[in-house]
Amino acid sequence: MALRDQIRVMVVDDMSTSRGLITNALDSYGIRNVASAADGPSALQKLATSPVHLVISDYNMPGMDGLQLLHALRSNGPTRGVGFLLITGRADREIIDMGKRLGMNNFLKKPFNPEGLKAAIEAIVGKL
Amino acid sequence: MSDPMAEIRASFFIECEELLESLQDGLQLMDDGDTDSETINIVFRAVHSIKGGAGAFGLDDLVHFAHRFETAMDEVRAGRFSPDAEAIRLFFACADILADLVRAARDGDQVDDGITGPVLENLDKLVGLEEEEEEDLDFTPATLSLDFGDGGTLPDLPELPDVSALPSTDAADDALPALDMPVPAPDTDIPPMAEPECKGFSVKFKPEDALYASGNEPLYLFRALRDLGDISVICHCEDLPQLDSLNPDTGHLSWDMTIHTEEPEQAVREVFEFVDGLCLLEINALTGDQDGTSSSEHTPISPAPEISPPPQVETAPSLPENAASTRVDAAKPSATKDTTKKLGEAKDEQSTQAKAAATPTQPRATVRVDLERIDRLVNLVGELVINQAMLSQSVAEAGLPPNSPVSTGLEEFLQLTRDIQESVMMIRAQPIKSLFQRMGRIVREASASVGKEVRLRTDGENTEVDKTVIERLADPLTHMIRNAVDHGLESTEKRLEAGKSREGHVTLTAQHRSGRIVIEVTDDGGGINRERVKEKAIQKGLIPADAQLSDSDIDNLLFLPGFSTAAEVSNLSGRGVGMDVVKSSIQALGGRINITSQEGKGTTFSISLPLTLAVLDGMVVRVAGETLVVPLNAILETLTLTDEDLTALGPETHVVQIRGGFVPLLDLGAELGYRTPQDSYVGGTVLLIGQEDGNRAALAVDSIEDQRQVVIKGLEGSYGRVPGIAAATILGDGQIALILDPTDLVGQATGRTRVRQPQQLLVG
Repeated sequence: MALRDQIRVMVVDDMSTSRGLITNALDSYGIRNVASAADGPSALQKLATSPVHLVISDYNMPGMDGLQLLHALRSNGPTRGVGFLLITGRADREIIDMGKRLGMNNFLKKPFNPEGLKAAIEAIVGKL
Repeated sequence: MSDPMAEIRASFFIECEELLESLQDGLQLMDDGDTDSETINIVFRAVHSIKGGAGAFGLDDLVHFAHRFETAMDEVRAGRFSPDAEAIRLFFACADILADLVRAARDGDQVDDGITGPVLENLDKLVGLEEEEEEDLDFTPATLSLDFGDGGTLPDLPELPDVSALPSTDAADDALPALDMPVPAPDTDIPPMAEPECKGFSVKFKPEDALYASGNEPLYLFRALRDLGDISVICHCEDLPQLDSLNPDTGHLSWDMTIHTEEPEQAVREVFEFVDGLCLLEINALTGDQDGTSSSEHTPISPAPEISPPPQVETAPSLPENAASTRVDAAKPSATKDTTKKLGEAKDEQSTQAKAAATPTQPRATVRVDLERIDRLVNLVGELVINQAMLSQSVAEAGLPPNSPVSTGLEEFLQLTRDIQESVMMIRAQPIKSLFQRMGRIVREASASVGKEVRLRTDGENTEVDKTVIERLADPLTHMIRNAVDHGLESTEKRLEAGKSREGHVTLTAQHRSGRIVIEVTDDGGGINRERVKEKAIQKGLIPADAQLSDSDIDNLLFLPGFSTAAEVSNLSGRGVGMDVVKSSIQALGGRINITSQEGKGTTFSISLPLTLAVLDGMVVRVAGETLVVPLNAILETLTLTDEDLTALGPETHVVQIRGGFVPLLDLGAELGYRTPQDSYVGGTVLLIGQEDGNRAALAVDSIEDQRQVVIKGLEGSYGRVPGIAAATILGDGQIALILDPTDLVGQATGRTRVRQPQQLLVG
């Protein structure tokens, strides 16, 4: 069994288009175990009952942004070790530095192609 | 669609429309003086999201423009730039262009560079040239080793635990870096790991017989309690006697309830306000160690030693460079003992909290459905309605008794058909908001081109209207709005002269009124100059020079083909579309249009439309051997004429006296050319028709057959517009019946209800 068959991923983005794109890309690498959420609170709610190994989250979301989600994940015992890939349209130093401090595993700047996303994921979890 | 990318692309454009809508909303709020950061954020996020999606599909024009717009909004968001009215106008223009670009990208059209250029230049002038520097960000990805075990074959993933079963790791927070940004406190957004606080009440409730006797229903009380929070109810039925000794007027039940709520005790008491004194009521606050629910209900969930622990980052996440390995800890045995006891409660609490957290942020779940599928469904339901009518007819003809199972079953079938039909129509209904937003743009463009300052106000945007109606309203409404800006409102100088505000106002409202939707376009301009309208109409030969016209007659001249009052043809008028076209497109929708105007104060155009184009409730009548359907909403009442009611007026007409007022009598058969006027109408049936403008008319028919829902089948495709006739339908017996347009009929009526007998005699 390859890693791609076992890894569980959650995609968090308020835009259904983006969720679709990412899920579609993951599917193309053979990652089938993918959950998704439209915002931070519902992601946390879903993670409470079905944990994952990697969270791929957009930065700019209403209510709770990507870094606030990361903070919430890291503050909570069971999810503190989850991998976190931040997707951001504006790779500001401020955002990246904060992400670094909060324990972000990697980030990816929009727009990205499926190869870029794959590389960003593999940098966290190893060869898929 | 088999290609997932094509599907995602299609959904992107749908999502863009939603984002453009919230962009408009946000800008409107800003224009109204809202400087709330969340409003600005909404605007920013909408542009940002469109850009993000566009990037993924390689829509470079769109990305480029959205990026510049986003940069400007980012300046606003960061508080480095406070937009004034001019800037907000520019943002509106940007939003319009963005919408154009989105639609062009969707339809594969080319966009003229010319339209973005000036706006971008202005943006740069406003917020300064952006310095596009790609920062070199050094970031080393922090790898995560997913320990799937050793050996060649990977075992199953480490079982991830049910977090609700685990206590919080208190050391965790210490390891986290201090945050200088607002971060929601974890314990509010994450299911709590700590002991749940028991907030709520236990309620003992035993109704006395008087409670039931005064028509109260305990179930409603429980429902009201449920609205306050999670509730569990235990019913005590031990006191129930044997069936043979049961007195139906005596209550024997009592209830114990536990309600988890943040509300004060008063809120719980209020639920029982109306049964005060009619029951035994005991309300106690829950204490911390008592969950209130009887212990027997909560079977403790047994410790689950097989629960595997979560992956834990060994090193502090503040040092991601080192946070390289994830290790699986053994379950802490102590963790289970304490938590198990509270597990059930924790879960309850957790789900309520989760619900509470989710409600405000989560939009309502929606499904996107291809319109064709809905239309198919609408058609099928239409057929079902016809079919059901035919079935009813056959059953009636079979002479079955009214209480036969077939008849009662059919009755239910009828009700269900109606429910289905209403539900299907609701699927097609949409808020009129999207249409109103488009009008915002029309006002902006129109006012810019004629050099007037105009503000559009809208009201009732959430009024739901059939989708087809919305689509087909766009053109007439656009024209009316342009008209209001161009002809309705005076120039700024004239406004100031008249002591009005500099800025002209156009108001667009929508509301439901007695089964129809009424849309009004109002301007606070100079009103209709009736002198000039009449002059013009005489000039053009539309009316004779000596015509005696009432104010409303003059106003209605505007709807005559080829009428234009603008003294000078402006940019906007002279497009070859007059109000006559507006009127006919409204009529094609089964609607009517009215004008009211007050010199110096302004003009209101009022459009009244049916809610749906698919079915209507009608009265089936017979006249001169023909079966016709009269829309029910036009009928105020039906009556039988007596001799005293009828008064002859003039040589050919009658009026009917109804409660002191007089209304003209119209013979439906004569008006439609089925027959000549009758000798006498005494004892005949008339329908009192009410019109939009408040005028009434009495329509004489031979008999009223039935009142039922009919499916509208348009005639215009085959016959064009027939005066007085709205459409046709198929009745239960398969017969085709025409549906009247009462207002149109009354408007065109001759009113002949008497034959000029003496003259005929003379000729004879």
